[in-house]
Amino acid sequence: MKLPFDYIAGLAFLLIGLFFTVESRKISESAYGSAVGPDIFPFVLGLLLLIFSLRLLYETFKKRGAAVKRGNYHYKKFFIILISAILYVSLLETIGYILSTFLFLLVAFQTMERRGIVKSILVSAAFSFGVYLLFVELLGGVLPRLPLF
Amino acid sequence: MSTVQFLMDGFATAFQWHNLLFAFAGVVIGTAVGVLPGIGPMSGVALLIPVTATLTSGLPAEAAAASSIILLAGVYYGAMYGGSTTSILLNTPGESSSVVTTLDGYQMAKQGRAGAALSIAAIGSFIAGIVALIGLVLLAQPLSNIALEFGPAEYFSLMLLGLAAVSGLAGNSMTKALIMTIAGLLLATIGIDAVSGIARFTYDIPVLFSGIEFLTIAVGLFALGEVFKTILEKDEEDENIAKINRIFPTKQDLKDSTPPIIRGSLLGFFIGVLPGAGATLASFFSYITEKKVSKNPEKFGKGAIEGVAAPESANNAASGGAMIPLLTLGIPGSGTTAILMGALIMYNVQPGPLLFEENPDVAWGLIASMFIGNLMLLVLNMPLVRVFAKIIQTPKKYLLPIIVAISVFGVYAVQFATFDLYLLIGCGLLGYLLSKNDYPVAPLVLALVLGPMIENNMRRALTISNGEFSIFLTSPLSLVFLIAAAAWLLVPLLLKLKGRQVIINEED
Repeated sequence: MKLPFDYIAGLAFLLIGLFFTVESRKISESAYGSAVGPDIFPFVLGLLLLIFSLRLLYETFKKRGAAVKRGNYHYKKFFIILISAILYVSLLETIGYILSTFLFLLVAFQTMERRGIVKSILVSAAFSFGVYLLFVELLGGVLPRLPLF
Repeated sequence: MSTVQFLMDGFATAFQWHNLLFAFAGVVIGTAVGVLPGIGPMSGVALLIPVTATLTSGLPAEAAAASSIILLAGVYYGAMYGGSTTSILLNTPGESSSVVTTLDGYQMAKQGRAGAALSIAAIGSFIAGIVALIGLVLLAQPLSNIALEFGPAEYFSLMLLGLAAVSGLAGNSMTKALIMTIAGLLLATIGIDAVSGIARFTYDIPVLFSGIEFLTIAVGLFALGEVFKTILEKDEEDENIAKINRIFPTKQDLKDSTPPIIRGSLLGFFIGVLPGAGATLASFFSYITEKKVSKNPEKFGKGAIEGVAAPESANNAASGGAMIPLLTLGIPGSGTTAILMGALIMYNVQPGPLLFEENPDVAWGLIASMFIGNLMLLVLNMPLVRVFAKIIQTPKKYLLPIIVAISVFGVYAVQFATFDLYLLIGCGLLGYLLSKNDYPVAPLVLALVLGPMIENNMRRALTISNGEFSIFLTSPLSLVFLIAAAAWLLVPLLLKLKGRQVIINEED
């Protein structure tokens, strides 16, 4: 059986709370001239998060057995676009803005719907060149350039 | 100087040609955002912050802040106009604040009265916008004068009240909403502490020293989260768009809808001023009110024009009303105003009582531009409603990947770091998973914006009192705020225990 999301989330928040509570103890306690140091606020919040995530786990435990809704999900589309987005981000600084954006958009457009490759190429090219020219040439911004081979 | 004088100066700022252009761009994009199901005002505003930041980069700091807030606020209230279009024509609300409009709006469209419904929605929105603005003008000065008397203890308690209000009303489970709020506050502590200069939770990772950027989180959670959701869950479907025959409403329509518009405007305005209760709640309440007041309530749900006029006025009035706590107290009451506040802070403009003294150009320029923007929206939405209705047909194939590309561009243009881009994608995934499972993301963003201010005010108050926590209880105003905050959290809980249904606020 699949674990309900609330369990995982509850445990994750519990760990985050624990992390902040423990780690905030390592921050030096007081700054010069103020009565309360930088450690109190995160410490108290960490504690609160601990308490509420325990409560969430308890609530989830009580509600166990509730039916999990299952719908029709487009996992394939989603993962292709997600992975190409990650690749896009990691290649942005190496192959430059125009090329990476063009490739990402083309792949994503074609993943969404396989028809009309010419139009997809045109739209991706127009977007990547357009943004680059507008931003870099007109507004004087900085984006990773196309590397010179 | 009197309020009138300030307002006139504001108009001088708003009438500068580039600010007119910014207001126009804002309301057009806002209407488009409202029309497109899938992008709400929150993701729209978040996406446009980096774009406006680059557009205004040539201007002096204060003028840049004024221009970009004019554009961003335009997106916010423009979306309230646009949201009704899809509700009426497609039976699909463009925003959560237009959900109730579908009840009667779509029925009207089916009876061939789509044009009348759309134009009443636009007229109602316009009147409501003006009502809210007049309220804003009248209340701005007195409220900020009161707020100037606040010390750090009062501020701390007031911000807690803001957070409590938003968490108390968001989502089905208060535990989840509170968890999200606390997580946002904790995220805000990462980075160098402003008071002591000590690095917290950074572990010598350079990108963490400046803290987690609010913009990255907001764009990721809202814009990318929505995109991921649409890719995963939406099936391609042929949507039937109702035809628009005549645009202008008949005399009878106008007569029927005048009282609901006025009631909706006033109700929406007051609900908007309250923190936590946003445009969605306002439209919902005004619909219920109209049904109660009406002589023949059985008409509702079958194409009553009152059922379109009231909620559409109310959501617009609420979005105007929500600007009041933001501008005068520096406390955003909803997700979208939290994002607007983050944008102002990015420009080193601190919303709050001092805003009207230190940056009158920004404050009054924005207010004046909202008058102009509402007028533009009325003109845009009446004759051009057919054009905007066409936007609905924008294929998702192009729209969704382009939103991803704009997010990446925007975050990179402001942050110049691939770390933020990975964080962006991560937040997109989290945003999708969290909101799918009923974890409201708006409180997290609000807490992220308010976090540093809450902490600094708390520490300042405690420094004044030599570490005595009783300072928050001995100051009468602070005590009132704290009691109100507690009530906001406890009352819904008690009602739930008694088995009553509690109306909750959808993200808006």
